[in-house]
Parts: sequence; structure tokens; C-alpha cells
Amino acid sequence: MDPIARQEPARQDTDEGLIRRILAGDETALGTLYDRYGGLVYSVANRILRDTGAAEEVLQDIFHQLWRAAAGFDAARGSLSSWLLVMARNRSIDRLRRRDLASAGDPMDLMPASGFNLENEAARNEMVAQVRRALGSLPEGQRQAMELAYFEGLTQTEIAARTGDPLGTVKTRLRTAMATLKKAFES
Amino acid sequence: MNGHPQFAEDFELYTLGVLDGDDKAAFEAHLAVCAECRRELEGARSRASLLGLAAVQASPRSEVREQVLDRFRVDRCAKQPLQAPTAARYRRSPWTPLWAAAAVVLLVAAAWLERENRRLEAGLAQLQATHVQLEASSRELEEESARAQAALDVLTAPETIQVELAPVAARPVPHGKAFYNASKGLLFYAADLPALAAGHTYELWLIPSEGAPIDAGLFNADLRGNGEVILPALPRGLTAKAFAVTVEPAGGVPAPTGPKVLIGPVS
Repeated sequence: MDPIARQEPARQDTDEGLIRRILAGDETALGTLYDRYGGLVYSVANRILRDTGAAEEVLQDIFHQLWRAAAGFDAARGSLSSWLLVMARNRSIDRLRRRDLASAGDPMDLMPASGFNLENEAARNEMVAQVRRALGSLPEGQRQAMELAYFEGLTQTEIAARTGDPLGTVKTRLRTAMATLKKAFES
Repeated sequence: MNGHPQFAEDFELYTLGVLDGDDKAAFEAHLAVCAECRRELEGARSRASLLGLAAVQASPRSEVREQVLDRFRVDRCAKQPLQAPTAARYRRSPWTPLWAAAAVVLLVAAAWLERENRRLEAGLAQLQATHVQLEASSRELEEESARAQAALDVLTAPETIQVELAPVAARPVPHGKAFYNASKGLLFYAADLPALAAGHTYELWLIPSEGAPIDAGLFNADLRGNGEVILPALPRGLTAKAFAVTVEPAGGVPAPTGPKVLIGPVS
């Protein structure tokens, strides 16, 4: 069963409204946001770290960070779901690669200026399906290069070293794949 | 797509940390000078993040939700002062001894918490006092800095005029000048001399290199304090060592007796 569908409560609150309630100390609002996005955050962390315990720690840290940084959230500036996905990926890659993508500075600085709003369950499920379809439609080399880039945090040079392909080939694959994905996301 | 298609997919790849080497350097150099591309980068971060949706959906253990909320409650409580315990309804039951024991434990815990709370509050009050002091010092520094800047502005402005002032003298300082030629004669001019009381006069003296001072003429100061002696009758060929002016009784005296008002050695 898809955990997103299972955990979605029958609520119509917007992310922004929930953040306001969290700031007022309302724990049920945090619970609602957790039910809405906890599965997404955990799934990204678990895919990157391949360690359920570590993924749960990342999940807890991000929601802790969310509540602590909530005052800086500005719905006009970006979407919470985009921020959570950026944080989930960066925090997990930090742990995996011992890099420092997300830990410095104000976490809300990572809030994309624009973003996809996934607060509606149907829109979220549709987007998940769309991304999977788009990634699945890529030729094997391109898909592998994109997955190494996103889920393992490798640079183009590191991907070339990992796959044994020439750097030029890897660059072309990454750019072609990204162009295809962008079209799919924007359609 | 913006106006720089050569970077088309670099935005997403850059936000994912994929670019390295020359590609990264070139892209960052372009970003530094292109506001349009910096805006584009924000959208790219969001698009790139969507790739995470491709992860196989998994569920954390149900306890994690409770742990997240527990942490929230702890944080929330830490932001609020501890509440004094309120009176609870007491009811007899077979569990009373157990409840009593629990109550003792709770009371001890409450007392400890109360003490901790007081200690923390005292620490907080001290910190707040320090904060207030620091704020006051900071304000003083800011005001001092503003005053220094305002002073500098006056000093450095081109239209600023400069005027030198000297102490206001109770009366002008008398001064005089003698032009003496041993064979041709003497001219003497004085200024800023105080007016003399009735029955007194100024007397000019030529002090020769040898011998007693020689009367070089009487004079009075006019309303502006000026006085002069022009070509007084003097023996010719005298070598002067100095000139002096004294205040003497009206009509003059053959040798100086009064206070010296002016004196000037021949250099």
C-alpha cells in the first residue's frame, strides 16, 4: 500500500495554515504535516541511505528543523513540499557523502523561490506517477546517470569513474535526461 | 528556458551538485553576472527536487511520528515557564497507598523541578540583565560613533569656514616701534597704550651703550591709545643699547622713576 495514500488524513488545511498553527504550538498541525509529507521525506532518505534507522533520523531531524524554522516560512516565497524534498535529499547526501549541502546557514534559505505544491493528495500522487513515468522512459544510460547524480550525490566526473563511460558521454546523458525530465515536469 | 540556452540543463545539474571542474566554474562565473539566470536557478532547484518522488515509497515505523511530536512537545515546553501544580481531586480507593507513593515521588520530582526552574529563571534573569547592559553599551557606542561621524562631516566639508579665536585681553597689550639713526634722529610710535591719570605723562628714554638713560621726549596717548615722538632733540652720534617708555609725573623727569611700560633692546 502506498504510505502516502494511507497516511493522508481527511483534512483540507493548507501548508501555510498548518505552519501558522505550528507556530502557535499546535501539535496536531505538525502531525498533519507529518502525515502529509513524512512518507515522502522518509522514502527519499531511505533510498539514498539504504538504512531505515538513518532515514528515520533524517526524517525526525527535518521535521524538527521545520518546526524550529517555521517562522521563516513564507508561502509567497516557495512551497513547503519543495523545501522538504530539497532538505530530504541534501541531508541524506550529507550523511552519505559527508558533504555539507544543507547544514550551514538558515535552512529556509534552501526554500526554492518557486515550487510544486504537493499539499493536495491527488496532485501529489499524480506528480509521483508522472516523475516515475518520466524517469522510467529514459534510456538505461541516462536513467542510471540521473539516479547516480540524485540518489548518490555524485558529480559528473565521479559518475564517469563509476560507470567507466567517457566524461563527455556522461555529460551528454545527464543533459539529455534533464531536458526530457523538465519537459515531462512542465507538461 | 531563459536567454542563455547554452546553460539550459546546467541549472538543475548545478543544484544537484553534479557540475564540477571547468563546467562548474564557467556556470558560476556566468551566474555572478546574470540576474536572470540566478532567478532561473531557483526554479531549477524545485524541479530537480521532484526526482526524489521517484524513490520507492516506504513507511517509517509508526513510533517515529510519536517521536517527532514528543520532540515538538519538549521544545514547546522549553519555551514556556513551568506551571505550578494545580490542586487535584482526591478520592479514596484500594490503590491509595500506591497513589500516595507515586504522589511522594511526584512531589519530590516537582520540588526538584521547581528548584531547577528557579535556578534557570535566576540564570535567565542574569542573562537578561547582561543583555540590557549590553544593549545600553551598544546604544552608547552607536551614539558616539554617530557623533564622531557628524564631526568628521563638518571638518571635511569644503564649505566649512575656519576661524581662529584668542583669549579676550582685559586691555590691549601696548607696543611700540623706534626708528633710530645716530646721525639723523629718532622716530617713535606706540599703540594700545592705556590712558593715563591726570598729572602723568609717558616719557621715552634712549638708553645709551654707556651711561644713564637720556630723555627722548614726552608724549600722551590719544583716544585710540596711539602715541608718538618725532625727531626729539638728542645729542648726535649716540650709540643706543635700548629704548624704553616709563610713566612719569606731568612735565617729565630727568631720570626715569616710574614703572616701565615698554622696553626694546637694540638687536
